[in-house]
Amino acid sequence: MADSMIEGSSVDLEFSTFYVGGALCGINILNIQEINKHFEITKVPQASEYIEGILNLRGRIVTIIDLGKKLGLDPVTKGKDNRNIIVNSEDEHIGLLVDSISDVVIAKSDNIEPAPSNIGGVKGKFFQGVLKTEKKLIGILAIDEVLKD
Amino acid sequence: MFEDDETLQMYIEESLDHLGDIESDLLTIEEAGADIDLDLVNNVFRAAHSIKGGAGFMGLTTIKELSHHLENVLGLVRTKELIPDSNRISVLLKGFDELENLLKNIETSNDQDVTVHITALEGITKASLPEERQGTVSEMVDIVLEDGRIFPQVSLFDMEQYKSEGKNLFLVEYDLINDIQRKDKNPIEVLNSLQKTGTIIDSRIDFDSVGLLSERSGPGRIPFQVLFASIIEYDMTDTLFDIDKKYIHAISDDMVRTASSSQSEVEPAAMPSKEQVAETTAPVTASAPEPVVVATPAPEVVVSKPVPVAKSISAKEKPKQQDKGVVISAKPQTSLRVNVGLLDTLMNLAGELVLSRNQLLQGINSSNSKATELSSQRIDMITSELQEAIMRTRMQPIANILNKFTRVVRDLSQQLGKQIDLVIEGKDVELDKTILESINDPLTHLIRNSVDHGIETPAERRQMGKGDTGKIILRAFHDAGQVNIVISDDGKGLDPDRLAESAVAKGLVTEQQVDEMTDKQKMEFILLPGFSTAKEVTDVSGRGVGMDVVVTNIEGLGGIIELDSTPGEGTDIQIKLPLTLAIIPSQITSVGKERYAVPQVNLNELLRIPANQVKEKIEKVGDAAVVRLRGELLPLLDLSEMLGIEKTYLDPGSDEDKSDRRTNMADRRSKQHLFDEDGNAIESSGNDEDQPSQREPEDRRYHASSAMNIAVVSAGAFKYGLVVDQLYDSEEIVVKPVGRHLKKCSAYAGATIMGDGKVALILDISNLAQMAKLSSVSDVGQVARMAEEEAAAAMDKAAMLTFKNGDSEYFAAPLNIVERIERIQTSTIEPIGDRKVVQYRGGALPLFELSQVSDFQRLEPKEQQEVIVFKVKDRELGLMVTPPVDALEVSLDVDESTLKQPAISGSMIINKHTTLLVDIFEMVKILNPQWFKEEAKVAAEMAESGEKILLFAEDSAFFRNQVKTFMEDDGFKVIEAEDGLIAWELLKERVDEIDLVVTDLEMPNMDGFELTKRIKSDSKYSHLQVIALTSLASEAHIEKGRKVGIDDYEIKLDREKLMKLIRHKLDLK
Repeated sequence: MADSMIEGSSVDLEFSTFYVGGALCGINILNIQEINKHFEITKVPQASEYIEGILNLRGRIVTIIDLGKKLGLDPVTKGKDNRNIIVNSEDEHIGLLVDSISDVVIAKSDNIEPAPSNIGGVKGKFFQGVLKTEKKLIGILAIDEVLKD
Repeated sequence: MFEDDETLQMYIEESLDHLGDIESDLLTIEEAGADIDLDLVNNVFRAAHSIKGGAGFMGLTTIKELSHHLENVLGLVRTKELIPDSNRISVLLKGFDELENLLKNIETSNDQDVTVHITALEGITKASLPEERQGTVSEMVDIVLEDGRIFPQVSLFDMEQYKSEGKNLFLVEYDLINDIQRKDKNPIEVLNSLQKTGTIIDSRIDFDSVGLLSERSGPGRIPFQVLFASIIEYDMTDTLFDIDKKYIHAISDDMVRTASSSQSEVEPAAMPSKEQVAETTAPVTASAPEPVVVATPAPEVVVSKPVPVAKSISAKEKPKQQDKGVVISAKPQTSLRVNVGLLDTLMNLAGELVLSRNQLLQGINSSNSKATELSSQRIDMITSELQEAIMRTRMQPIANILNKFTRVVRDLSQQLGKQIDLVIEGKDVELDKTILESINDPLTHLIRNSVDHGIETPAERRQMGKGDTGKIILRAFHDAGQVNIVISDDGKGLDPDRLAESAVAKGLVTEQQVDEMTDKQKMEFILLPGFSTAKEVTDVSGRGVGMDVVVTNIEGLGGIIELDSTPGEGTDIQIKLPLTLAIIPSQITSVGKERYAVPQVNLNELLRIPANQVKEKIEKVGDAAVVRLRGELLPLLDLSEMLGIEKTYLDPGSDEDKSDRRTNMADRRSKQHLFDEDGNAIESSGNDEDQPSQREPEDRRYHASSAMNIAVVSAGAFKYGLVVDQLYDSEEIVVKPVGRHLKKCSAYAGATIMGDGKVALILDISNLAQMAKLSSVSDVGQVARMAEEEAAAAMDKAAMLTFKNGDSEYFAAPLNIVERIERIQTSTIEPIGDRKVVQYRGGALPLFELSQVSDFQRLEPKEQQEVIVFKVKDRELGLMVTPPVDALEVSLDVDESTLKQPAISGSMIINKHTTLLVDIFEMVKILNPQWFKEEAKVAAEMAESGEKILLFAEDSAFFRNQVKTFMEDDGFKVIEAEDGLIAWELLKERVDEIDLVVTDLEMPNMDGFELTKRIKSDSKYSHLQVIALTSLASEAHIEKGRKVGIDDYEIKLDREKLMKLIRHKLDLK
């Protein structure tokens, strides 16, 4: 987990960044299984509102979560830039549907600051911290917290 | 304690494996009694022994101690010094149970207190020994080697025992590093191979000497000492053990020293127990790290890590110990033994698959369609084979769980004072591992039930004339692609009436419902939730939550449970299980744009209600929609409504799915405000002709594609119709688990991947029913009953005899006036004038056919002729008919007008045929008017002497007319009433005129019972006699009627008897 690394001495960390509901967020690249654009999603009626549906990922059933809705932002606007970020959590693949993918950012763990209690309307608990780059502010997602059901 | 997880895990698995067979072996030993089967005893002995051996090595002191004592007792059994009677076996069994328990909780095993078992075992051992040897049982001695090292705490008794068997004792010192680790061996394997040539009395790792040696020389030794008893002579041992002879010490008597004398000095050198490790670790680490390094971690650690790191290892030591619970708690059950042959097959198939893939890729790259096709075929075949082979790896023999029931039955029957033999058949039957694990509990429950409730005590059995010993047969077999498990006992069986009584008392069903149930249905009460017949809750049978849980469990596995029982003779319970859960046949349906799979086990049938019948077939009971299916009311659940999905329909014009805006299942243009396809409200009177512009002439709602598709499903106590948009094929689907975010969506049992790669959800039929708050069958039955009662109020049931006249004309006549059905030779029929008669029982039976009274087909002459014999006016006559002749009970929904003709009182639909009701009386009257002269005379007389007036209450118009005609034919005047209430009003007005009351029993508003009660409890009317007419007279009904004061009963349509009774009541001739 990224948590333990942040605590120690300065280590280079790579974050895959993406836009969701207008916010720029990042996930430690080590947490990411793959990023794809499969949208043959089967709706699951009666599931929580943030569940986009389920997807067949090479024989595995993957739950796709609309990250926008989950974080309490605007739902992801459907478009050609949409991607599923497949992350591995508790021995299970879960897909995060995001608006679009941005760069991979390399940062020193020292540069990550603790998250304020609220970032652009998103509860602070969803973030491990905030990474300030020259131009932008990237919220580093605490995957386990986000994926809590 | 030993830290090498892998070795420990292996040890646990092996030990549990050994224990697996012990139980049944012990029970067999018990059965054999003094007639000891040495092989079996040896088996058990060896098992105890291996466990002990490993435990010594792993530092599992408690396990070692316990297994050691078990071994002692078994050793005595083996040498026939001890007869294994029931008590002793019980102690052994309990001991092994505890051992298993310890093994399963290995991390806490050393802290467990097993003194109870040890004392019991020691008791047995001591009791069987001569006085002078008794002391040796608990005496421990040390063995002192030449170099002064000590192998401590060996049971003297053991050593004596082996010596007395003529065995030589050796202390073999393996070196964990050089002899085992470097030779790629495993300590357990070494122990196992030693077992083949002798017996391991004890084993330990001599940590004490490690420190000393490593200080002196470079590569340290970790002596792994095994105290070994074998018939092999000392000279031969080096070849056997494959180590240098100097590490093999023959044990002579003078090396043995009593432990008590050296206890104090030996203590620190002895194998430290877990607590001691914890205590000693800290201080020793600081001063001399080396010995501690090896004292606890696995040998690998020692070899791979150089000494300087020792500190960090011991620093990590602590957390690791704390983590142990987590590490080890990876349950041994998570591994599976797979036949090596099967694995080879799998490897082969994998190889084939790779090969075919390469061919496929080549074919694709070179655009060679022929090659591509070939390789895809190959891949297809390989995949199937692979699937099958992988399935087989999951298959386990059912013996794994069946065997343990021997013990369950033994213990329970002892506890309950019963004598029971358990016969297990079909142990080789294989089942998927998951299923196997999950049927354990239900089966245990059923077996316990059989023992507790099924089999009687010996005394009871003798009374019943059965042998003292009851028998339970547990049989597993394959049938029709399913695994069947049958549990049969020859006990007292289920008493349907007691079950019914209990069910009524618990309010699960009504008495009325019970009346009409078969014994089998009554027996199935015990499967209902909250039902337990045990007179008192026993320890054995639990707390009355029972069979329903079993049913739920079995059904959760896609299985079925069936009951069959003969009171006094026994009970059979049959469980049918699928071979595997991973692939299930399912019906694919769709709602909206998504497909949903309904497991075939839940599916009873598919129902399609054509658009134009929807309105008639779908009824409303309360708020719920129901469909009448073969006389049964089936609640309907609309899947789209349940899941909140928009319905679609296949647009007949464009062949596209369009969303359907019907909100009500039965809604077929009944609303005043309709919506056009764009959703705009249209003012409408609900009439098609009003909207020619918006609507196609043939309204979609009446179009074939607007038919209603229903999957009739059942799960446990639920049975309902699931309304879906489309029904597709049945497919075998692979069940895949869904993610944790969807776990709380109870409507789904999982998901599957369809042929096109899309995902479809699998519906959980039972949970859907619960979500819809659908009541279980018994309640549905109640709802259905209420609805049926409503219907029955309007429609009476009667037993009818159906027959044909010619090929195509269907007829029915009331069964109660039928005397017999005969088949006669046509040659015996004698024509006399225009009549036909046959010699019959010493008289002439006149024969008729329907064509004589009305315009029906004449019967073709045949060799044999079926004749229905009726009795009218005390005379018999035969009606010649065409078979099949069948008796059945039907609701009399009679159309009196459409097909009315002479001798036909009306028509009705029976088994999809328009059936004419034959009025036998009228027929006879037409044929033999002279028979009725008497009546005419009586009627005439009565008309003269003053009319008798009958009040006749009957709700069915058909019966009212029929019966009224009988009465009027006989000269009575009849006042009709459509129900009890009307009759009551009429009676109040015209009480002075009325001579007798004839009433139907079941009527709307006021039934016959209530009417009678009012009449009989009012002095103004109580002088009137009441005759009740009933279609089905049950004892309960008659009793109820007597209570309210009904004077007599007569069956409807039995004209003669009724009239006779009426005349009798009125004192007429």
